Amino acid sequence: MDVELAKPFVKAAMDVIGTMAFMTPRAGKPFVKKNTIATGDVTGLVGLTGEGKRGSVSISFQKACAVAMVKNMLGDDIQDILQDVKDAVGEITNMISGQARAGLAEKGLVLQGSTPTVIMGDNHSITHIAKSPIMAIPFETDAGSFTIEFCFE
Amino acid sequence: MATLDGFRGKDFLEQITILNEISGSKDAQCLPGLMDLFENPTGDTGVDYMVVGALNAILGTSEAAVVDGLSSLSLPYRTLCIRTAGEYAFASAAKPLTAMAAKETDPDLLAEILASLAKIRPVGGAAVFRTFLAHPDQMLAAMAMEMAGVYSDPSALPALMETVRKAGAEGSYEQCDLTTWKAIDALAAIATPGSIGFLVENIHHKNPTARRIITDALVRLGEATLPFLEPVYANGATDDRILACNIAGFIGARKGADALVKAFDSGCFTDPNVRYAAFEALGRIGTLKGLVCLVDGLEESDELILMAVVVGLERHAAPGVLKTISERISAGTENSPRICRAIVAARALRLFQELYKDELVGDRLIDALKLSQDQEILDAFAQRLNEIATDRSRSDAATLPQARVATRKAIAADDSKSMLALYRRILTDMGFEPLLAANGQEAYAYVENGEFADVVITDMNMPVMDGVELVGKLRGSLGYDETPIIMVTTESENSQREVAAKSGVNAFVTKPFKPEALKEALRQLLGD
Repeated sequence: MDVELAKPFVKAAMDVIGTMAFMTPRAGKPFVKKNTIATGDVTGLVGLTGEGKRGSVSISFQKACAVAMVKNMLGDDIQDILQDVKDAVGEITNMISGQARAGLAEKGLVLQGSTPTVIMGDNHSITHIAKSPIMAIPFETDAGSFTIEFCFE
Repeated sequence: MATLDGFRGKDFLEQITILNEISGSKDAQCLPGLMDLFENPTGDTGVDYMVVGALNAILGTSEAAVVDGLSSLSLPYRTLCIRTAGEYAFASAAKPLTAMAAKETDPDLLAEILASLAKIRPVGGAAVFRTFLAHPDQMLAAMAMEMAGVYSDPSALPALMETVRKAGAEGSYEQCDLTTWKAIDALAAIATPGSIGFLVENIHHKNPTARRIITDALVRLGEATLPFLEPVYANGATDDRILACNIAGFIGARKGADALVKAFDSGCFTDPNVRYAAFEALGRIGTLKGLVCLVDGLEESDELILMAVVVGLERHAAPGVLKTISERISAGTENSPRICRAIVAARALRLFQELYKDELVGDRLIDALKLSQDQEILDAFAQRLNEIATDRSRSDAATLPQARVATRKAIAADDSKSMLALYRRILTDMGFEPLLAANGQEAYAYVENGEFADVVITDMNMPVMDGVELVGKLRGSLGYDETPIIMVTTESENSQREVAAKSGVNAFVTKPFKPEALKEALRQLLGD
C-alpha cells in the first residue's frame, strides 16, 4: 500500500527538519504526477528496496529553503555554502530515510535504503524510473518550500 | 534463559546479547520487563530499538496480549500493538480496531489503525474504510479508497465517482490530487459495469494527469473495457472517440479491432482525427478484418491519415496486403504518389522491399524517395536497396540524391510514430535537422545535452512528460526563453489551451492539418 509507505516519510521529514534545522514545515495537499520528473534546486535522493518493492524517495528543496536550513543547523560557522548545503541535504535525507524505515520496520516492512545522493543545480530535474504515478507532498516553511516525492513499484 | 534482571546496569554488549536472545526465544515471561524498558527507554538508540524488536517478536506469539495492549493507556505501547496486530494479521484485533477507528480523531493514529485493519482484512471490513472515503485528510481518504478497491466494495462507488468528478471541476484540474488517483484505481479494481462505464465516460477528463491514469486503468482492464468503448465510437465527442480508439489499440484484443471496423462501416468515424486514431489502433492490433479496413484506408487523401495506414500495414505486411498496395500504386491514380510518399515518410522498409520487386511500382517509389530532403531516410532506403542487391536496386541506390546540409535544427515531440514521421518530412523539407522525441522528457534531453533548436513543435498530451510541462521547462532553460514553440493539439477545450498559453506557447496548430499549414505557421514564427 503506497500511502502507508509514504506516511512515515512525511512524519520523519517533519521531525528531522524540525529537530535539526529548527524549522516548522507545513505539509500541503498531496498530489499525483504521471510524469516522473522532480524539480528543485537541491535534491536528496535515496533508493529503497525490500519486501518485493523497489522505489525511490526524493526531497527537493528550493535554494532559499536549503540555505536557511544550513544556516539554522550550522549557525555562523558556514565555510563553503555549496559544500555545506550539499552535506546538510545529504545528511537530512539520510536521517529521514533512516527514521522512516525504522518506523516501517516496526510494522514488519523492512526496506533497505541506499546511501543518499545529492543533486544540485538551479531548477534541475530528477527522473524516477517507475511506471506507476508519483506521489508528491509539498511543504512550506518560512524560508521557502520543499517537496517530497515517492514512487514505489 | 535470558533474563532482564539488572538489565540497566549491564554494558552495551551484554544488553544487546540478551535482547537478541529474547527476540529468538520469544519468551513471554520477559514481556513485563520489556514493557518497562519500552515505557522508560535506556536512552541508547540502538538498545531501545532492539527493545522494540524483542517486544514485537514476543507480541507476535501472543494474540491475546496484543488485543489487550490495544486498550493500553500508554500511547507508544498502544501504537506498537496496533502495528503488531496488523503485521501478524491477528483476526481478533479487528473488532477493537474497528471501534477505535470510529472514535479516534488524530490523523496519524487513525492512519496506523487503518493500515493495521488493511492487513488483517477482516470479513465485512469494507464498511470501516467506507466511512473514511471523504475524510479531509487526503492520506486517510486515499487509504480508504485503496481498500475499497481491495474489497471490491460496490457501496463505495458513489463516493469514488464523486471524487473523480470533483477533480474535473473548474479551477481544480491543473493539479491531480492523491485521492483522484486512488479513486480511479479503486473504480477500476471494483470493475462493475457501472464503474467501468463511469471511467469510460470520463476518458477525456479535464485534468490531464487524471486522464492518463484513467487511460492506463482502462487499458489494464483489457477486454472488460471494450464493450463500453463501442457507444463512444458512435455517440462520443470527437476527443472521446479519439481516446477510445487509442485505448482499444493499446488493449490490442481482436474484439477491439472488430468493434473499430464495425464503427468504420457504420460511418461513425467521419472526423479525420478520429480516422487517424482508429487506423493507428487497427495497425496496432492487426486482425484480418482490421487489415482489410487499413487497406481501404489507402483511399484516404489526408497525408497524415495515410501515414497511420501505412505504419499499420508495415507492421503486418501480408501477401494480400502487398498485392493491393502494389495495385493502387501502379494504377496511377491521384492517390498513387501520396501512398508512395507515405511509405517513404513512414520509413516503411518492409513494404518497400516487397513492393520494389515490381518494376513499375519500384520506380514510382524511387521517384517519391528522390523528393525527400531527409538524409536519414535517404540513407535507410539506400542501404535497403543495396541489401536487395540486384543490378536494378544498386543502380537505383546510386541515383538517390544527397540531402541539403541542414543549418537549422528543430525539436519535435509527439508520442505518435506517424506524427513524428510527418514532422520529420515537413522539417527536412524546410531545411531543418529534425530532433525527434517520443515525449517531453526525451525532447528536453536534447536541451540538457546542449542542443540548440531554432523552433520547437510539441504535442500536448504525451506520456512521461506532457507538452505543457515541456514548454514550462524550456522557458526556464538558458537560450530557450524566446525560442518559438508551436503546440499541436486536438484538444477542443479552451481551458487546456489557456494552461498551455500561460506556460509560454507561441502558436497553436490544431490537428488535423495539411503539412502546408504547419509550414506556414513555422514560416510566420521564424520570419522566413
